[in-house]
Amino acid sequence: MTNYLSLSVKEIHKLLIDKKTVPLDLVKEALEKIENSNLNSFITINESALEEAKSLEGLNIDNPLFGIPVAIKDNISTKNLRTTCASHMLENYVPLYDATVIEKIKEKHMIIIGKTNMDEFAMGSTGETSYFGNTLSPLDNTLVPGGSSSGSAASVAANIVPVALGSDTGGSIRQPSSFCGIVGLKPTYGRVSRYGLIAFASSLDQIGPITRNVYDNALMLNIISGMDEKDQTSSEKEVEDFTKKIGKDIKELKIAVPNFYMGNAINEEVKNSVKNIINLLEQQGVKIDYIDMPYLEYAIPLYQTIALGEASSNLARFDGIKYGYSTEETLDIDTFVKKTRSIGFGNEVKRRIMIGSYVLSGKNADKYYIKALKLRKELTNSFKKVFEKYDLIIGPTNTNVAYKLGVKQDDALKSFYDDLLTIPVNMAGLPAISIPIGYNSEKLPIGMHIIGNYFKEDVIYQLASYIEENRGDAKC
Amino acid sequence: MLKPTIGIEVHVELNSKNKVFSNSINSFKEAPNTNISEIDIAYPGTLPTLNKEVLEMALKAALALNCNINKHMHFDRKNYFYPDLPKGYQITQKNTPIGYDGYIEINVQGETKRIEIERVHIEEDTCKSIHYNKETFLNYNRAGVPLIEIVTKPVIKSSEEAVLYIESLREQLLYLNISDVKIEEGSMRCDANVSLSDNDILGTKTEIKNIGSITNVGLSIEYEINRQKDLIENGIKIVEETRKFDDKSRQTILMRTKETGNDYRYFPEPDLAFVDLTDEYINKVKSNLPVLPNTIRQKYIEAGINNHNIKTIISNKDICDFYEIIFDKVAPELAANILTGDIIKELNKNHISIKESKLTGEEFINLIKALENNKISSKQCKDLIPLIMSGEKVEKLISNSSFQLITDKTELSDIIDKVLANNPVSIEDYKAGKDRAVKYLMGQIMKESQGKADPKTVSVELISKLKSL
Repeated sequence: MTNYLSLSVKEIHKLLIDKKTVPLDLVKEALEKIENSNLNSFITINESALEEAKSLEGLNIDNPLFGIPVAIKDNISTKNLRTTCASHMLENYVPLYDATVIEKIKEKHMIIIGKTNMDEFAMGSTGETSYFGNTLSPLDNTLVPGGSSSGSAASVAANIVPVALGSDTGGSIRQPSSFCGIVGLKPTYGRVSRYGLIAFASSLDQIGPITRNVYDNALMLNIISGMDEKDQTSSEKEVEDFTKKIGKDIKELKIAVPNFYMGNAINEEVKNSVKNIINLLEQQGVKIDYIDMPYLEYAIPLYQTIALGEASSNLARFDGIKYGYSTEETLDIDTFVKKTRSIGFGNEVKRRIMIGSYVLSGKNADKYYIKALKLRKELTNSFKKVFEKYDLIIGPTNTNVAYKLGVKQDDALKSFYDDLLTIPVNMAGLPAISIPIGYNSEKLPIGMHIIGNYFKEDVIYQLASYIEENRGDAKC
Repeated sequence: MLKPTIGIEVHVELNSKNKVFSNSINSFKEAPNTNISEIDIAYPGTLPTLNKEVLEMALKAALALNCNINKHMHFDRKNYFYPDLPKGYQITQKNTPIGYDGYIEINVQGETKRIEIERVHIEEDTCKSIHYNKETFLNYNRAGVPLIEIVTKPVIKSSEEAVLYIESLREQLLYLNISDVKIEEGSMRCDANVSLSDNDILGTKTEIKNIGSITNVGLSIEYEINRQKDLIENGIKIVEETRKFDDKSRQTILMRTKETGNDYRYFPEPDLAFVDLTDEYINKVKSNLPVLPNTIRQKYIEAGINNHNIKTIISNKDICDFYEIIFDKVAPELAANILTGDIIKELNKNHISIKESKLTGEEFINLIKALENNKISSKQCKDLIPLIMSGEKVEKLISNSSFQLITDKTELSDIIDKVLANNPVSIEDYKAGKDRAVKYLMGQIMKESQGKADPKTVSVELISKLKSL
């Protein structure tokens, strides 16, 4: 079996150009790897992938992603290809339409290998809430791969595909990327169309690329970005080439490290690893300041109010009437919907719908939801202030490295704390990346978080790429 | 003394080409579930986009109803479970209705009264449930049809005012050309809140839902006022409840009592961006508003048209559009009489609208001018109407001898003599000073001439003959 898919996109592209391989072989390799994998990282395989690859024969290789196999998180709508959200509710749901990002991927002749496992409706940070069973980490099968984009991260880390799409509502791209030692970016809110992304929390959700290196990540962002008339929250901001600053000098960059990101809640080894990078950058003459940023500490309650409030509404459409699971019993409508939802949704989803309904209910709306919106604005302003003086904010992606499967299953609140450092970014709608910067003493990867100003993904990639190239013996 | 206070909520379906949040055709006529898209049936991952045409129509309504405009507006989600609600929430405007604090003027027994309007907002319709044989069928053609909701303040004091308000509102919307406002067909839906009180504090209200016609607005409110009065006078407390009007028994009937307030879990719709209405845009829409019925009415009053004719013309927009074209080109009173009389009669006879007939403004003007200039008599005019409404030309018709007036004095003199010879009693009456006799004789002469005698010449000739007798 070939092992081309462990190469970078850039390298595979060169092989295709030089006719050393063809898309069909790449697809065969991916399918074979899935076959031999025990990770449970895919829910559905695209049965027509081989055919699609064959149809590319003889076509002009017109872009860097031509013929590259890609894995898609299973909450992104794919026409004629089952899209389950890892839920019993959508176990047999086959969409009638492609998400805008899927249309864009198809235009570039990338080949969708399959739909990746995830936490049910993207609710979770371990992959364990999936109706189809949890995904295993390719680094150590006793560990969580992180979540909710668990299958996308695991598939990329296991070299099954070089690129995958995930979605990030509170850290669901960055946290699993960090746990699996790979690169995951959450773009600026509005950078990528959400049309076709099955909503968890509409004001926070964003689709983004998961890759093994920074350059590939930027390539992928290039093709999925842009204003979409079907998504009125997508931005008209022009899409530039996100690779353009990669390799440029970083000396002039001004960087802030919020003290909160290096506080007591963060594991010492993680902090040390980040400090090593800070030293590296300072040696290059980069100006780095530790700063105090107000409101960061409210991120989790904010998330529980806003994300779950929106989720309780977004998931109301799953009533068994139009599509998806429905109880086969003949019942009056109220009982029918109750029964359908009781069986169709898993426990974590139900818990979050209940919390979300509660915070929006009657007088609670003022007490929680309206207050949270105000606080969200303050938190956003707090970020804006920092970006008046600095180009980037850095810190760890997570409070710690990947942990054992099962340990957070019994505590509904604990898994939210995984997202302590990632949620603030979604609240403000900013772009941020997680890149691997080294290992802890147990050889588990540590992720660093680089947060940019609105629509400054190119500057994030500039620094990320520098660190990737220069982190030396800490390299994963 | 117990006095009623009434507030009215009206939902109006807009006649935009597409639905409010998708590109599906906004039409309910086709086979069920054909005018739908993945957005209307709330497929997972779909997002709404605001239709600009709907926005402009709603803005027109808000401006025509003298509202302030929310220049920075957004949409909200109203969450509840019902099988006809595809997303499990309705997209509506709670906090920033496009229009607020407006009014409409009505004329109550000669006095102008302002009915204050609290809000005008945009929302989407649900799909339609059809219950049949214990089963429920859903037609999603209606899901996402644009609606505006218009809510008055509790300022209406009687069923009469309520009816006048609905009539006036309907007229305004009809003239804006944003809806066909057919209350019987559901493109205009009306709910009324009624309460009674003997002081300044409003009493407990009941809501009458989905009243099916303008007449029933009056009847149901009147019934409800009396029902509540009876209860209160008998010491029974009014309970907040929803009722409906039953056409057969002409009573309001209990549908449900309100439980501890509905919990719609409103929050701002995160899938739609804020909408900024610039002054430039608002002014443009404002300056392009069509002439509205109250303005037209004033003009007609000044032109001396009688109230009955004004009401007939304005309540039928097609007729009014037609009349507006010819209004300043002929004698308006005469034209109004003919239009509201013989023309409408002829239209009704053939069950067509004026648009569907072949009557053109130009021919109508020719007809009225021929009548004004005594080229034809009223009788001839009546006879001509069906012909010109089927596309014939006035000039051509009256050039035909059978339609030409007899103005020749010798010819007329013979006819007059014949009539006089046959009516000796009338001559006696005339001599006795009874004016009626002249009118009678005129009538006889017209009859004898088959309506072709020129009345002016006849009148002069007849009088001179009578005097000389």
